[in-house]
Amino acid sequence: MEFINPDVVDLSRFQFALTALYHFMFVPLTLGLTFMLAAMETVYVVTGRQIYRDMAQFWGKLFGINFAIGVATGITMEFEFGTNWSMYSHFFGDMFGTPLAIEGLMAFFMESTFVGLMFFGWDRLSKQAHLAITYLVALGSNLSALWILIANAGMNMPEGAHFDPETMRMQFESFVDLVFNPDAQAKFVHTSVAGYVSAAMFVMGISAFYLLRGQHRQFAARSFRMAALFGIISTVAVITLGDVLGRLDYEKQPTKIAAIEGLWHTSNPPFEPWIVAALPDDAKQENRYEIGVRLVLTPLITHTFDQPITGMHELEEEAGPRIRSGIDAVAALRRYGVTHSSMDLAQFTAHEQDMGYGLLATRHAPGQDITAIPADQIDDVVRATQPDILPNVFVTFWSFRLMVFLSLWFFALFAISAYLSLKRRLERSRLLLKLCMWSIPLPILATEFGWITAEAGRQPWTVFGWLPTFLSASSHGVSYMVFSLIGFVLLYSVFIAAELYLMFKFARLGPEHDSMEPHAPAASRASAFDMRPMAS
Amino acid sequence: MTKLLRLAGLAVILVVSLLFAVFVGDQGPWYFAWVIGTVMIILISGAGAIMLDAQSSLSSDGEI
Amino acid sequence: MELYAILKIVWAALLGVLFIGLGTMVGMDMGVGTLLRFVGRNDGERRTALNIIGPHWDGNQVWFILGGGAIFAAFPTLYGTSFSAFYVVMITLLFSMILRPVAFEYRSKADSRLWRAGWDWVFLVSGFVPMFIYGAAFGNVLEGVGYHFGWTGQYYQDESFLSYLLNPFAILCGLMSVGLSVYQGGAMLMLRADDPIWSRARRYAMGGGLVAAILSVIGGIWVQFLPGFVMTAPVNPAMPANPLHGQSVAVVAGGWMHNFHAHPALWLLPLVGLGCMLLGVGMLARGHTVVSWWLGLGAWVGTIMTVGCAMFPFLMPSSTTPDQSLTVWNSTASEYGLGCMLVVAGIFVPIILSYTSWCYYVMRGKVHTADVVNDTHSY
Repeated sequence: MEFINPDVVDLSRFQFALTALYHFMFVPLTLGLTFMLAAMETVYVVTGRQIYRDMAQFWGKLFGINFAIGVATGITMEFEFGTNWSMYSHFFGDMFGTPLAIEGLMAFFMESTFVGLMFFGWDRLSKQAHLAITYLVALGSNLSALWILIANAGMNMPEGAHFDPETMRMQFESFVDLVFNPDAQAKFVHTSVAGYVSAAMFVMGISAFYLLRGQHRQFAARSFRMAALFGIISTVAVITLGDVLGRLDYEKQPTKIAAIEGLWHTSNPPFEPWIVAALPDDAKQENRYEIGVRLVLTPLITHTFDQPITGMHELEEEAGPRIRSGIDAVAALRRYGVTHSSMDLAQFTAHEQDMGYGLLATRHAPGQDITAIPADQIDDVVRATQPDILPNVFVTFWSFRLMVFLSLWFFALFAISAYLSLKRRLERSRLLLKLCMWSIPLPILATEFGWITAEAGRQPWTVFGWLPTFLSASSHGVSYMVFSLIGFVLLYSVFIAAELYLMFKFARLGPEHDSMEPHAPAASRASAFDMRPMAS
Repeated sequence: MTKLLRLAGLAVILVVSLLFAVFVGDQGPWYFAWVIGTVMIILISGAGAIMLDAQSSLSSDGEI
Repeated sequence: MELYAILKIVWAALLGVLFIGLGTMVGMDMGVGTLLRFVGRNDGERRTALNIIGPHWDGNQVWFILGGGAIFAAFPTLYGTSFSAFYVVMITLLFSMILRPVAFEYRSKADSRLWRAGWDWVFLVSGFVPMFIYGAAFGNVLEGVGYHFGWTGQYYQDESFLSYLLNPFAILCGLMSVGLSVYQGGAMLMLRADDPIWSRARRYAMGGGLVAAILSVIGGIWVQFLPGFVMTAPVNPAMPANPLHGQSVAVVAGGWMHNFHAHPALWLLPLVGLGCMLLGVGMLARGHTVVSWWLGLGAWVGTIMTVGCAMFPFLMPSSTTPDQSLTVWNSTASEYGLGCMLVVAGIFVPIILSYTSWCYYVMRGKVHTADVVNDTHSY
């Protein structure tokens, strides 16, 4: 019997979190900037004014710098399911692999093939054809987000698959259920539109920088206004979809919503306060220094005034019988693997729905073997397993709050910016311009907090209710993990340094063609044709 | 002949979009909302830029 | 035959097609990367070489990503097991792969000579290493991999990663794959560049093709003596995909030749591969670049199909627990999953092929150094 090495599980989780969060520093800009480029180019094709082509080309250059790292770090994500989560791949790959492969076929090919034409095809294609290419790049990058979020929704709210004792894994059974999983729908729109917000803030902030310095004024004013309008609508959409996701969690992932709201005991509708700030203590299972607003929580989450939200203590109590039943399911499943007798199968089927909770008890069973727990120890194992059904409350609670507070800030900033831009009073509001500039990284930060909320809140499961995280990892040695972690940290540090260097360089230089500012110094000519031989 | 082909192409696109709207609007309302919403966002922000062109050609104060 | 068994075979064949596409298209870009420092003696020439594959490398790289995705979807257990068993090798491959997109996009965006020379080294590493590992992985799989499964389906490793890195047969396969990629990359450079890049590329491409041809002959003889894996009892091809039971497998010296003994017509495949390599080198010598590019594809077809037919139905045999070897029968997705993916692939692959070719059509023609350095959007 091989034992689970908790260090390897933790290191695998750490590495996945690190690489995923790093990857998602670049994705939101890709999702949003492509559509902003398309909007600028649309105006160019409709009005024929050269400045909009300048805009599409300049912001396209910054998009390219960002896009490269997004593509590169995305490969890591696909590899890691295999290299670090072999049991997960075996257990859930039948269903999970499908959206990933479709992502490649439908989205990656489209986005990557046409992105080359978008950069290189300005002189080879007609205006209309190039515009169509830009839209295809935008559609392709957002479709890839669609498929990965469909896959992610399968982890959070598995739909369209069932466990099969013959193959010992989840079998895929319905494509329609997979694609139209309500969680996938809401998550896709929420994430894609969060990308629009990030891109809008990026364009608005850099335009504000030019306006503050009085450079490229016409160019910056147009970019600023487009971004402000893009941003305000997107922010409204992000908040709306966030509300939809909260209600879905309330229905399908009660442990996540209880942890997000720091709700240790079942709520008291309609008076239960919404906690604005507190210090949740996971060990003592209580909140310290709680500040709340009464009457808000119940309508916020349930959209009613009388439905209770189950608290974490009550969820733990409810899990007890499920863990006990799950232990029976796992024992029957193991016997069935050897005997293939219909009696064992019937016994398994009777407890099937609780199998995941049984697996959760693995770490507390003597010898990590849940199929041979002595009768007098079962109660102890179940009791020891109960608190494991909860995610880390501190992390979930605060990452959610930071995301929400940031989104409210974006709402205010975009609303004021859009208003002042429409009134043509931007240059008189230097404070606002500075705030816009300094807010550039914040939407990306908020997106990262969103991912932490969603995925830390999913714990202790990789497939919610079916497969615990600690069982999903590959059975490597710690040294393997140290090797790959050191490599990732080194490589990714070089990447971010190179990307920031180029971003700042090109943002400072500004647009190289600016048809509304004929006397602007010609920035960034291509380096002279260098004929000196290079070492080889 | 090209005109006829173009019309036929447009008709096909129209039918496909209608089918898409009916099916996706039914099965996945949020997906449908995303398509409509994205188009709307692009149009509004583009309109904002064109409005700025108009504003600056109407007034001579040079404000932006 | 049952539908499930047919689907399994179809997907095994599609896996072969993917490996061929990956070897040809990704191999071509990697070959250009490997050759970059040798065919380009100054910055202008190197940028010309990069811009030849500039509009296409990103799309080509998707073949590689799709390869991973398709194995995940169609062979989930194989995916989890192989990527985990080859962890150190796979992570090294990953590191070299993710350097490439960044190198393309960033190299020519700053003027410093040190900056550009540094990224040129990155191109060499990220062109050579992945193709070497790609070939070496086939070599390792042919020799069998040490692993077994626990009762839950969790895989456990029985062998150190060093045995995969320091394996002479795998090194041979790796070098052969690099040779083919240099051939393909060189042919592409000749299609789109003028002298002096043209004649330098020709020299290296011919060398690559010859090395690949020689190594494939040595490898072919070597395989006769390698321990191969054979089924000792009939299997049910439509069995539930579960590696834990249902197969009995033995290790026999020269076992990989059993399929060739049973079906002598299969000998055509290695002949096609070798013939394409030799003929391709000859065509390069005469300057027929288009023909030699397509012969490079033929070389990949012959090579991959030879390996696939020798191993069938094995995908990744286990040297320590042969009965649990992963085969076409026991490591696929479910019937529904395979069918679903087949429909999706049937719709999208023709679309992809048509717009990819259109893309090459739009960007056709020679790339000139003077145009590259004067265009601020080029790589």
